[in-house]
Amino acid sequence: MLTYIVRRLISTVAVVATVGVFVFLLLHLSPGDPAAIIAGDNATSEQIDGIRSKLGLDDPLPVQFVRWAGQVLTGDLGVSIFSNEPVLKLVGQRLEPTVSLTLTTLFVAVTLAVTFGVVAAWKAGTLVDRLLMVLSVVGFSVPVFVVGYLLIYVFAITLRWLPVQGYTPIAEGLVPWARNLVLPSIALGLAYVALIARITRATMMEVLEEDYIRTAKAKGATTRSMLLKHALRNAGVPIVTIIGIGVALLISGVVITETVFNIPGVGRLVVDAIAKRDYPIIQGTILLIAAVYAVINLMVDLSYVVLDPRIRYQ
Amino acid sequence: MHTTRRRFIGGAAGLIAAPHVGIAQPAPSAARTLKAVMHADLRVFDPHWTTANITSYHGAMVYDTLFGVDADFNPQPQMLAGHGVSEDGKTYTFELRDGLTFSDGAAVTAADCVASIRRWGARDGSGQHMLARVADTPVVDDKTFRIALKEPYGLVIDALSKISASCCFIMRRKEAETDPNAQVREVVGSGPFLFNRDQTKPGAQYVYDRNPNYRPRSEPISGMSGGKVVKLDRVIYQNMPDETTAMAALRAGEIDFYEVPPQDLIGELESDPNLVVQALNKTGHLGWLRPNFLHPPFDNVKARQALLHLINQSDIMRAAFGQSDRWKPCGAYFGCGTTMENDEGTDWLKTAPDLNKARQLFKEAGYSGEKVVILHATDHYLANPAGQLIAQWLRQVGVNAELASSDWGTTLTRRAVRKPVAEGGWNIFITASTSYSLSSPVGNTGHAANGEKAWFGWPTNPKIEAMRDEWAAAPTLAGRQAVARRMQKEAWEFGQHMYLGQFFRASAWRKTVSGVIGMPELVPFWNIEKKA
Repeated sequence: MLTYIVRRLISTVAVVATVGVFVFLLLHLSPGDPAAIIAGDNATSEQIDGIRSKLGLDDPLPVQFVRWAGQVLTGDLGVSIFSNEPVLKLVGQRLEPTVSLTLTTLFVAVTLAVTFGVVAAWKAGTLVDRLLMVLSVVGFSVPVFVVGYLLIYVFAITLRWLPVQGYTPIAEGLVPWARNLVLPSIALGLAYVALIARITRATMMEVLEEDYIRTAKAKGATTRSMLLKHALRNAGVPIVTIIGIGVALLISGVVITETVFNIPGVGRLVVDAIAKRDYPIIQGTILLIAAVYAVINLMVDLSYVVLDPRIRYQ
Repeated sequence: MHTTRRRFIGGAAGLIAAPHVGIAQPAPSAARTLKAVMHADLRVFDPHWTTANITSYHGAMVYDTLFGVDADFNPQPQMLAGHGVSEDGKTYTFELRDGLTFSDGAAVTAADCVASIRRWGARDGSGQHMLARVADTPVVDDKTFRIALKEPYGLVIDALSKISASCCFIMRRKEAETDPNAQVREVVGSGPFLFNRDQTKPGAQYVYDRNPNYRPRSEPISGMSGGKVVKLDRVIYQNMPDETTAMAALRAGEIDFYEVPPQDLIGELESDPNLVVQALNKTGHLGWLRPNFLHPPFDNVKARQALLHLINQSDIMRAAFGQSDRWKPCGAYFGCGTTMENDEGTDWLKTAPDLNKARQLFKEAGYSGEKVVILHATDHYLANPAGQLIAQWLRQVGVNAELASSDWGTTLTRRAVRKPVAEGGWNIFITASTSYSLSSPVGNTGHAANGEKAWFGWPTNPKIEAMRDEWAAAPTLAGRQAVARRMQKEAWEFGQHMYLGQFFRASAWRKTVSGVIGMPELVPFWNIEKKA
């Protein structure tokens, strides 16, 4: 098991390095010039050239790559071309909102989705099943920003129950923190609910056909015990897998949700950086996201052992 | 101890909160804090380094200027106790007023001013024009310095007081001696606000606190001059890229001021009884089109003149801003409503659009079907609709127009390419500037026609260059207006650039906010009060 983990961690480093090379090349080979954006609309070519030269952006690409890679290997993701702030500091400032949004979304999504999926499987073929699955399809089909604007209109502007936008750090109080996260978590979580609920339903229906479920029923197990103790646990592996895959969707969804609800998270940091071609921020953040994603995948794989004792890693 | 769900959740919350422990700072009350959404994200903090307007806004908060302009655009002393010019018009003397200190506590000295003028002058168009005529900038004592000119130059005070980017903000000598091509790293000014770097989160919010050591002038406020009295404890620029969210936040009272709401939805804000909707820039903006003079067909004057007859300014304005009284066609080369406005050589405006005339002029230019590439920034409020309309009109007169669609950042990069279209070049670039900045033949780099050194499009016209110098040397307003008149005639005949209409973008703020100063180029936050 330990060997497997070490091997996976090494492969994670390789994945992150590959991502780093691709991101660097894609950024520098695609159109866009931070010097032109820094200089502003009224600057002349001469002024832009001066800034480009000062920032080292006119150095040959291999020179720029070696300079950046050398920094990264020493744990330095560089400094924002625009604000002069270290990338790690900027990411650190944005981490809390994104982690908060991700966790609350996962909480909302997994709680609702697993409940929907289990109930739908239990009541398979009935009106309840169809209703829950229609809701899931609608949730998956409607774009996050549409749901977001609708929620803002109803709950923030019309009813005035919740704030339109922004983020309050948890250090300033649990209630204000939660109030800011309710609407974005629901908006982002709905698509996720649909994805997990449908997989949960399908897997549960398969498991509910198994002999041991019939045996449990015959031995007088209650519905609750049969569904949650016997069936759900055995259906766990595909559900956990889809949650893991969903985290990737969540990362892209976070970008839109953070924009609609004006949450100063990592997603917005990347999008803003792309718009202004702030190479160190884009490269550094994508590297970190790739590493997080690889680690989440590893954790999902390791959770299989807990959910299904028959699984062994060598 | 075993892990329970409650302990796990508590631990996770603690981890999230951990970065904040020990750095909590008392924030000013909501009633003394103004939250504003400005027209752009503040990306660069050095106002000499960039020509981005938003950085000038930041500069006006934390730095002070030697002069300000009043509501009628007349220069007035700001950091100065007095100034004068020698009889031969070649030596200007400036004396700083008492009590000027930087936010680090050091007094502002004449050496700081000279270094700042030198750095600003290396970057700004007006500054470059002036410095080319400066022989020396001697420091007389801590509070006095001079600008000694090689020849009389009428624009010294105007250049130092200009409010369009880049403004001559006074920095510490230490920062002002930074290479003009590199960004100043520290934000230390002597202006009415202090930049709160700890509370600032680049890309999200920028925080300014009242400078308790700032001593405003005693004169009443007028435009960007007079006493800059700060009546708030904190101003926060909130970067809110989503317009719909920003509008909702303003209506819900979560922000107090929204500089440029989506103009096609302005009616919605006007119907809200809690909001004030008003255009702050009374001379507005001008949309303009720049042809590339280096390549066919616009290396030919007839093809450039064809564009004047092709464009329907009203249609472009309507497409960008809807049916509104906040736009109008404008044929004045130095902007309508400005001191240099005149009607010389504007016959084309009376008949435009005239597609037959445009078609005939393209024919006379020898246009033979080559591709005409329009740089089309789809995320730009004006370039997007204007680009589509102009492409359509060009096709109607038989021009092979192609839209090169991209984001604004890519457009800015491609406009610097001087190569032919086939090698990544371009023919038409669309942008917008304030009428105020376009009113100066010297201050706006777009008016230069000095070939390779000129702004993108690189026009060459010695007559225009001579007239720019003549305008700068004219000692009186009437003299400058006379030169501007001749220059306008030449510019329209030459086809230096084409206008797409003049527009007045409305801002919106909560009724609890008062004292907003309406000026072009800058939105100052002194004088503003907020009721609870």
